Amino acid sequence: MMVKSVTLPLTPIAAFELFTQKASEWWPKDRRHSGDSDSEIFMLPSGRFYERARSGHEVELGHVQAWDQPNRILLDFFVATSPERPTEVEVTFAAQEGGTHVTVIHRPKPSSADLWSARAPLYAQSWDLALAAMARAAA
Amino acid sequence: MHVLDALGNPVRRAILSELRAGPLSVGEIAAGLPVSRPAVSRHLRVLEDAGLVQAREEGTRNVYSVRMHGFASVREFVDEFWDTALARIEELARR
Repeated sequence: MMVKSVTLPLTPIAAFELFTQKASEWWPKDRRHSGDSDSEIFMLPSGRFYERARSGHEVELGHVQAWDQPNRILLDFFVATSPERPTEVEVTFAAQEGGTHVTVIHRPKPSSADLWSARAPLYAQSWDLALAAMARAAA
Repeated sequence: MHVLDALGNPVRRAILSELRAGPLSVGEIAAGLPVSRPAVSRHLRVLEDAGLVQAREEGTRNVYSVRMHGFASVREFVDEFWDTALARIEELARR
């Protein structure tokens, strides 16, 4: 499990909106899987979580499991592995003095547990599986 | 080029698959693939830049092998991802 946090000078609702509606602005440019560093990233209450390149090409980045605005969002995350073996991201937004404490918990799911900390096995044992998403993105 | 981008190409994944069995020269790699030797050399350069393979001179030829510590685990990947993302989120929040 990996835990990271940051305190933002915003209300929880504003912090939640920044995370979900401005994903295109905070998602690292060199981690775009459509091949377009100026792609748009969508995280929607309906469950869709995807990236759309300026060409219109779309890549699923995961799936929204829970949308508890403004307290919490739970995502299946395909980016580091594959849709078949997602990891999971839970983000919580807690009001505190001076703003909102945002905590990101990123953890493997049972299907991705073996990929989590192993370096070579990530690609050697699950070669095609782990790279399927990347190959599609690069196509 | 990032590791995952270097891997986003079927020829480069095929080269790495061949090298998993042991070190090979450019000619040996090319013999097992439906691409030209110059193309294999180009792909090897990308893989080397990404830290995934290393070259060793053996007489007059270069022998390539997989560089295991060039492979990031999922945990390392997401760790770096969120460090970058949260720094950016903080910056956006302070605007």
